[in-house]
Amino acid sequence: MALEDYRGNMQRCTRCSYCKWVLWDHLKSWRFAKGCPSIGYNNFQSYSAGGRLAVALSLLDGMINYTDGVLDIVYQCQMCGACDVACKICRYDMEPLATLHELRARLVEDGQLLPMHMFIIDNLKKEDTMIAGKVKADRGKWAEGLNIKNLTKEKADVAFHAGCRLSYDEELSKVAKAAVTLFKNAGVDIGIMGKEENCCGGRAYEIGYKGEFSKYATNNIEAWTNAGVKTVVTSCSDGYWAFKRLYPEVGCKVEILHTVELIERLIQEGKLKFTKTIPKIVTYHDPCHLGRQGEPYIPWKGVEKRIYGQMLVHEPKKPRFNGANGIYDSPRTIINSIPGLELVEMERIRENAWCCGAGGGVIDTYPELCSWTVTERIEEARATGAEAIVTACPWCERNFIDAIEKSDIKMKVYDIMEVVQQAI
Amino acid sequence: MIDKKGDLAKIVGGQNVLNDPETLEAYSKDESFIRPRRPLFVVKPQNVDEVQGIVRWANQTGTPLVPVSSGPPHFCGDTIPTAAGAIVVDLSRMKRIIKIDPKNRMTMIEPGVTYSELQPELAKHGLRLTTPLLPRSNKSVVSSQLEREPTLIPKYQWTLLEPLRCLEVVWGDGSKLWTGEAGERPPSLEEKWKLDLVQLDPLGPGQVDYYRLVSAAQGSMGIVTWATLRCEIFPQLHKFFFIPAQKLDDLIECAYKLTRVRLGDEFFLVNGPNLAYVIGEGIDQIGALKESFPPWIIIMGIAGRSYLPKERVEFQEKDATAIVQQFGLKLIPAIPGARGEQVLETIIGPSKERHWKLSYKGGCQSIFFLTTLNRVPEFIRTMYSVAAKMNYSTTEIGLYVQPLQQGVCCHCEFNLPYNPDNEREVSKMRDLFTQSSEELLRQGAFFSRPYGIWADMEYSRAAQTTIMLRKVKGIFDPNNVLNPGKLCFG
Amino acid sequence: MTLPREVYQVLEDIVGPRNITEEPATLAAYAFNFGNELYPPYANRFSIRPTAVLLPGSTEEVQAIVKACNRYKIKYKPFTTGWGGIGGVRTENSIQLDLRRMDRILEIDEKNMFAIVEPYAMGGTLQAEAMKVGLNCNMPGAGAAVSPLANGTSQWGHGPPTLYFGHNSEVLLGIEWVMPNGEILKTGSLGSGVGWFCGEGPGPSLRALIRGDIGAQGNLGVFTKAALKLSPWPGPTQLKVDGKPPAYHVSLPENFRMYTLTFPNWRAFADAAHKIYDAEIGYICHRQWHKLGKDLAPAFFLMYSNPTKTLDDLEEMLKDPEIQRFTKEMEMPLPIVLAGQTPNDIEYQEKVLNQILAETGGHKVAKMSEPDIEEFTLLYFIRWGHKNLNFVYAGGYVGSWHQFGTPDFNVKYAQVAEKTLSKYQATGLLVQAGGDAMMGPIARMGGGGTFSLEQFTAYDPANKESVEAVVKYILESAELAKDHGFPSGFDEMAALRFKGAVGSQAYLENLPDNQRFQWQWKIKHMLDPNDAGEAGTYWMVKPKE
Repeated sequence: MALEDYRGNMQRCTRCSYCKWVLWDHLKSWRFAKGCPSIGYNNFQSYSAGGRLAVALSLLDGMINYTDGVLDIVYQCQMCGACDVACKICRYDMEPLATLHELRARLVEDGQLLPMHMFIIDNLKKEDTMIAGKVKADRGKWAEGLNIKNLTKEKADVAFHAGCRLSYDEELSKVAKAAVTLFKNAGVDIGIMGKEENCCGGRAYEIGYKGEFSKYATNNIEAWTNAGVKTVVTSCSDGYWAFKRLYPEVGCKVEILHTVELIERLIQEGKLKFTKTIPKIVTYHDPCHLGRQGEPYIPWKGVEKRIYGQMLVHEPKKPRFNGANGIYDSPRTIINSIPGLELVEMERIRENAWCCGAGGGVIDTYPELCSWTVTERIEEARATGAEAIVTACPWCERNFIDAIEKSDIKMKVYDIMEVVQQAI
Repeated sequence: MIDKKGDLAKIVGGQNVLNDPETLEAYSKDESFIRPRRPLFVVKPQNVDEVQGIVRWANQTGTPLVPVSSGPPHFCGDTIPTAAGAIVVDLSRMKRIIKIDPKNRMTMIEPGVTYSELQPELAKHGLRLTTPLLPRSNKSVVSSQLEREPTLIPKYQWTLLEPLRCLEVVWGDGSKLWTGEAGERPPSLEEKWKLDLVQLDPLGPGQVDYYRLVSAAQGSMGIVTWATLRCEIFPQLHKFFFIPAQKLDDLIECAYKLTRVRLGDEFFLVNGPNLAYVIGEGIDQIGALKESFPPWIIIMGIAGRSYLPKERVEFQEKDATAIVQQFGLKLIPAIPGARGEQVLETIIGPSKERHWKLSYKGGCQSIFFLTTLNRVPEFIRTMYSVAAKMNYSTTEIGLYVQPLQQGVCCHCEFNLPYNPDNEREVSKMRDLFTQSSEELLRQGAFFSRPYGIWADMEYSRAAQTTIMLRKVKGIFDPNNVLNPGKLCFG
Repeated sequence: MTLPREVYQVLEDIVGPRNITEEPATLAAYAFNFGNELYPPYANRFSIRPTAVLLPGSTEEVQAIVKACNRYKIKYKPFTTGWGGIGGVRTENSIQLDLRRMDRILEIDEKNMFAIVEPYAMGGTLQAEAMKVGLNCNMPGAGAAVSPLANGTSQWGHGPPTLYFGHNSEVLLGIEWVMPNGEILKTGSLGSGVGWFCGEGPGPSLRALIRGDIGAQGNLGVFTKAALKLSPWPGPTQLKVDGKPPAYHVSLPENFRMYTLTFPNWRAFADAAHKIYDAEIGYICHRQWHKLGKDLAPAFFLMYSNPTKTLDDLEEMLKDPEIQRFTKEMEMPLPIVLAGQTPNDIEYQEKVLNQILAETGGHKVAKMSEPDIEEFTLLYFIRWGHKNLNFVYAGGYVGSWHQFGTPDFNVKYAQVAEKTLSKYQATGLLVQAGGDAMMGPIARMGGGGTFSLEQFTAYDPANKESVEAVVKYILESAELAKDHGFPSGFDEMAALRFKGAVGSQAYLENLPDNQRFQWQWKIKHMLDPNDAGEAGTYWMVKPKE
């Protein structure tokens, strides 16, 4: 798809502003009414999905030229997808998030690049990671001593993909260690790529570098095929989304699971039992890429047609990605299964969740937006009275940990893997 | 030399231009302490063309006009000319009940129609109009509604102007406008009625709420020559109850709850003396009732109208009883000295011939303003304190509190009887009236209907309002012919 | 055009550099709105771009901006949530004031039942906060995403609960108003410094100047705060919402009822409206479903309330005989929410409703009372957060007809409106949803008495032919309304705007009775002597001396 293919979307946006706010049916307070961090922080209309659609149309029609302002508008966005869910409450023809992806891809194609993005992509090309400053040689160090199958040399049914964040973040790598150890001990035939693991490419896709994404996707798919992998499991929601939603378009056929899904499966099969009590009150943060963007991929090839005069429908029926079928229940089931753990929900949860602030390249390029967004979220967590935030994405965790450190909030941050580990 | 009488006679007919001394004297003063001033003439137009004629003439000759619709006694001073050489435009001849539309519960009436005249006609069609507390029988309905006199049923007050809807207004420049939906196509009333358009929507026309500009304007913006009003359905069943209390605070909390859930119909609070003034006749009976009545009483009517009237009254009585009990109070059909049926007879309808406020001592000054219900006790304390300082017996003070606009605010009224033939009492009352008004204002009373001395008091603390009102007056009455000197208009 | 640098600097000093922009992309985003494609000279959804956009954060900033505009002869146009082209600038060389930062609910006086809000406080947030203390607001007809303050002062004002709550102009109490000349007027009791509780007086009410039938539409300065009367909410303090998008639902509290009534014909519908007014029942009552057309709407809502279905399923669903029967049953619908303040109250209301149905030949649609659908409908009606469904078919919607009057009057034009729309739908250039696509709350004002039926027209804004068909339809509707002697409605306003600034002025000047437009000229020029505020949607005719 190209940006022009979304011209209809741009023309049919009605500027209803739903893309800016939580889903109306779920709204519980003035304090936590915002849905979109970008316009929440910047306030100008152009920083909403609807505003960006208008900007895209203006660009396509030559009404405006590229400026630094255009880059700012396009990239000050975590690509969290809250706008997409909200818009689709009332619309079956609109694809705001997909349009935003294409808009970024068009900017990259046209050479409209953020310097910081260029730096990150250069690093990616050299070191196969999105974490600026990190090197390939260090990638597998987190797994030293774990005695896990090396998929570059052996075959296994399941590949554990640690992801860039967990591979290089020393504080958080315990999550990867815990996950892969737990699965191995539960009898899962699991292996890792270790030092040869590459970035999923998802972040590159999100900042508009489709070409780079394709390279990494193709590469990873080939590596799994060679290793006989049937299932890829990851603790990184960004990676999860890339594998589940983007990779099938480039031919990936393996099953994709997030850690929470595999844990839940093991619990159901009786292979995982919680024996310890954790007396804590926690709240759960739905990562964008596991929740509303973590829906099953359904391929579709079809056309738009008109019925009843001007009504726009699809032939055949087009699958709908509106956050309805994201992974929300698995982590909650896990939390509720752990003795002593009490889950108190924030106001904005599930498909309605507020972004942690890290996504879409923002963590690297717009620290103020990132900081404002994550602070909003930890305030929301604090309002529940919980002692800890539990989540299922290392990017969210890193952002929460850093923000809490700078604040007066006293809350712990756990990956769901950590509470599971504590309870077995 | 202008022959004013001759000019006016050409407009309304010679017999409708009056300047005999008795007539002029009668229109020169009222029950208030406003300085008396005789008009030059009293004219009595019959229709809107004559009214327009008078207003245009007034513009040409620079003659002040004072519109009056009700008969005496007047209480507020708004019908007394402030400017010299004024003509009173007495609209009481305009007595047409132009339309009663039972299906749409609408009536269209001219300004001379009184409550006594209107209610029986409405009743024939199964309707009635929500009234203020005991208007006098010759009170003009239109004038009462225009002046935002508080009506007895809070739940029907979507705004403080209810049940007033559309108007025919002759502005101060002599032009005419139909307000609200009446100002829209089609042009004539007959054509509108043929389409079932019945002048119920008061907004507009266009982007101005013209009817709000003549509301509580004391006739200083325009003269209304017909008005439409939204009516109630005449109750098939109508019961009245009392909620007596020793402590006002309990009663106020109870009032909040009852008005919030819109239980009942008529709903207001009085103190014992005020109830005695309302129900009693003559100084002896009133005196005795004052002794027997509880200090504070809510009067609550519950009406059953066209749908399951019996069931409605029953369930509302049950629910009201339960709520009232939460405050340690009782909902009862009678108190010593008064029964619910008595209330129905006396309160739902015009006052007796001797106006109820004058029945006790012959004279009465009323101080009324808007506030919120929770602040009423502090205003009472102030009123009592000033009265005590000036040796006015607090047991004489009548209190009438009318929740308005579904409970958002309330009309708070102190009734102060006195003997108008006793010079000392008159002098004391004048001082009491002035001083308590000043203290109440300082305390936060809102004189939303600023008659007499309240006008200066109120407008001097609302500078921008004053500036804007004068500018608006400048548009609709550029030559300041309509009741000059009232409100903030020079 | 760009602002002179000196002016830009003055404005930047008022709001701060973060809150002012001249970025062309942002200006383009502000020029974009639905419906712009219908009006000349615009060929798409972009109208005139502002020269700058400002985000004031306080009354002081607003006042300083307005004064600066007066001084430097710069036009300005304020808006809040900005849904619909009305809020955008209509003249070249205007700046846009986006009031998004002024979104606070300053106070809810629970006892005296009113909320003090800033202009961008939305219906959804106000309702959520009010519910916490057992109160609720008159949700604007345009939904939870728009501002009740703006709705009450500046644009329409009726909504689904108006029957019980009152019109949003009726609920306006004290208002803080930065007038076009830059002075601040506080209306009612607020102007006397004694609180927000009274919207009228002292004496005549200056808020008469703001409102009227339609509202100020951003032409008369900026309303920076207002108190809004609330009404009781006898439901839970927080809605417990379940389900998958878009079919969220909330369980029915015991003292609530959610019905979709249906009637045999227009006559019965009108009679039922009268009876509902007289019986004083109903908490929310709105002919909502038919906005999507009588032929498609019932099936649409079955589809919509099922999260596994999409619009792609609609055509197939309509082949189902059971759905066809259901569609027929729903030809004259009226959804209603009853809310009892006490158990006895709800019991009484239910009895009365049944009596009204018996008298008018109506009945409760059984399908709509199935638990899932009932709970979905209840939440829909309470929160009113699905208003963008106006555009669901093809992204284009315009309202037409919409004359206010008694139920009996509405029925008269409804039949003309249905015929007219059917004719245009038959061309295939509009969505063929059925000629009766009329929706509206059963009450225009508190307690009812009058209402209006807005005829919805669905079209594709990306299809020039579809857009042209809509314009033709609107113009014909406006002519028909005039021929029948009906008052002016939406279509007349639209037709006026089709003529453009010059054309509409000529039209107004040639009206036989245009006196009220002359009054409006005087009022506007009294309020705005320097002509700084925009006047694109404030209809005026200069008085002949």
